[in-house]
Amino acid sequence: MTLLEAEINSHVLVKKVDCGGGFSRNLASLGIHEGDRLSVIRKAPFQGPILVRVEGSEVEIAVGRGMASRITVEPD
Amino acid sequence: MNPIDLIFSSGENKPIPRIALLGQPNCGKSTLFNSLAGFKAETGNFPGTSVEFTESMAIVAGRKVRLFDLPGTYSLVPSDEAEAVTRRWLDQGSFDALILVLDASVLSRSLELALELAETEIPFVVALNMMDEAARKGITIDVDELSRRLGVPVVPTVATRGQGVVRVVTEAIGAAARHGRANRPVYDRDVERAVEQVAALLAGTFDGSRARYLAVRILEADPVDEEIVAGAGRSVLDAALQIRRGLAVEHGWPEDGFFASHRHAIAVDLFESVARVVRNPGRTIRERVDGVLMHPVFGPLVALGVLAGFFAVSFFAGSAISELVMGPFEALGGLVESRLHGVAGVLARGTVDGIGGGLAIVLPYLLLLLFFMALLEDVGYLPRAAFLMDGLLHRVGLHGRSAIPLIMGYGCNVPAIVGSRSLESRRDRLLTTLLVPFVPCSARTVVILALIGAIFGLKWVLAVYVMNILVAATVGRVLSSWVPGESIGLLMEIPPYRLPPLKSVAAKVWFRIRSFLISAWPALVAASILMALLEYWGIQDAANRILSPFTEGVLGLPAAVGVTLVFGIFRKELTLLMLFAALGTTDVASVMTTTQIVTFVVFVVFYIPCIATIIVQVKEIGVKWTAVSVGLNILVATVLALLARLVGSTFTV
Repeated sequence: MTLLEAEINSHVLVKKVDCGGGFSRNLASLGIHEGDRLSVIRKAPFQGPILVRVEGSEVEIAVGRGMASRITVEPD
Repeated sequence: MNPIDLIFSSGENKPIPRIALLGQPNCGKSTLFNSLAGFKAETGNFPGTSVEFTESMAIVAGRKVRLFDLPGTYSLVPSDEAEAVTRRWLDQGSFDALILVLDASVLSRSLELALELAETEIPFVVALNMMDEAARKGITIDVDELSRRLGVPVVPTVATRGQGVVRVVTEAIGAAARHGRANRPVYDRDVERAVEQVAALLAGTFDGSRARYLAVRILEADPVDEEIVAGAGRSVLDAALQIRRGLAVEHGWPEDGFFASHRHAIAVDLFESVARVVRNPGRTIRERVDGVLMHPVFGPLVALGVLAGFFAVSFFAGSAISELVMGPFEALGGLVESRLHGVAGVLARGTVDGIGGGLAIVLPYLLLLLFFMALLEDVGYLPRAAFLMDGLLHRVGLHGRSAIPLIMGYGCNVPAIVGSRSLESRRDRLLTTLLVPFVPCSARTVVILALIGAIFGLKWVLAVYVMNILVAATVGRVLSSWVPGESIGLLMEIPPYRLPPLKSVAAKVWFRIRSFLISAWPALVAASILMALLEYWGIQDAANRILSPFTEGVLGLPAAVGVTLVFGIFRKELTLLMLFAALGTTDVASVMTTTQIVTFVVFVVFYIPCIATIIVQVKEIGVKWTAVSVGLNILVATVLALLARLVGSTFTV
């Protein structure tokens, strides 16, 4: 499944980041990598972005829906 | 070199070391800079761009240094315009050493930038900042071990309290003199071999360590360095890309991301060998606050409250201060005019009006709103508002980050446009700058309130605002399909809440205000003089006559309003007074029909903002796009006013 489909309060493991346009690199520079564990904290209203916390570094990142659909995750 | 520098550097032969501050966003870099530089600092744009950096002379431990505060950068591979410009500046090498500011509370991620920098030949030292926050998170860091592993001095700092700040600059001056370099990271065998292969390809054109650095950058898929290598020979680059692709395919890695993952692994390793996390509590406060501020229902309510705050500030405080300022200036203007006769008096009056008018924008609106905004920015609220608004603004082709400048526009368009600088992509900045004039500022709100509110009631005032938002949203949609480039989705760090030092907030406000003082104010004075001259020469009647085909013919308004529309550009806040003067009465309803009043208000709401807005637009987006913006405003205002006239004349007698 993709990060877009992950439920609020769930924990997921990043399996794959569909690359192109340096997307995976941008994610990495913010602190999200393949193999990282994320907590899905909340989703913004009006089809807005998804807020995730990277386990370990505790960095919180808002990921837009388009981008979230390119991140493959599995329940952790 | 400016004169002050000459005075400062006279009698000393040693060149002043140039030290630049680099770091990821929210690492406290600017706070560190401001604790040394203060208000002597100057903001400048990187040549040919609107990306800003700040520089200042400072005396640190008795030595003069020139400090540069560069925009926040996650990685040397640029992901937006600000990062690209910063990268170019770094490549030019017109500095002597870098202070790399690392956020100790997210050390493992910050170390990736340190490792990237370690591949370059740039002399740098590390300011391990936010040590207090790291301690609160239960992270203890072996600073000496980190320094040993990186091969550069590491100084623990708490920039908000000025701790360690002097020492880190002293270390940087030392590093500049030593020309030492950091320990290069060592990658996996396969990656290391690929680096060597590419370096060997480049060895003919670049010297040893430069070739190694470029090899790393090529494997990293850095577009900036790919271009540099392509300049040396297309075939060399192709061969290098072949190696990169081969390595990625062999291991099933993403071609543009595998190098970053390897560096990440090294950074995690390094982090684990220098830091210990003893406990991991304390997100409770943040979680509780975010639970409200980012809540799908309460969050937008708080955002509305903030919006109401902006309104309140600009209405009550803003207009009160504005009047307070304008009163004496009006009196002074009258006095000057009565003492001096003829053109001299007119010129003096125009000058006084211009200075007063500028002050009436600067003091209440710029100062209050920019301070409010800088505070929200530094505390960490803005990213959260952007998170909430992103979904809605996406539908009009904008980002959540545009929300705040647009909201500020209700107070005054000038700080809104200046504030749109905090947007990262040029496209978002352009779109926001084009849309801000559609937001009725407090001067236009006065017209709406006085004409619509007084005559038709508050319900219709609300209707005007709703219509305005719908029109602005439509314009945004059309523009976003029009303006080149695509809006990439939101990807934004939500930083922890922080209490910024007042000095840091004040410095930010001052930099933004100063750019208005220097560029827009003189133009405002000139415009004011021009207006006084036109008035003196009795050009109003001529203006009304020239405009009458438009005002009377197209819009069906009395010819006398022509001059209000023209002079309204210079002094928007006087539109209403000018209308009263032009009509010869304050009882507008007695001389204009309902339809005419509605048509007039609709036109004023969407029509060109004031001259000060246009001037800052020129500064931010250039003459061409400002012309587009002005044309667009006139077009939309005319079409809608015409519509109002047609609808009005259909339904009323």
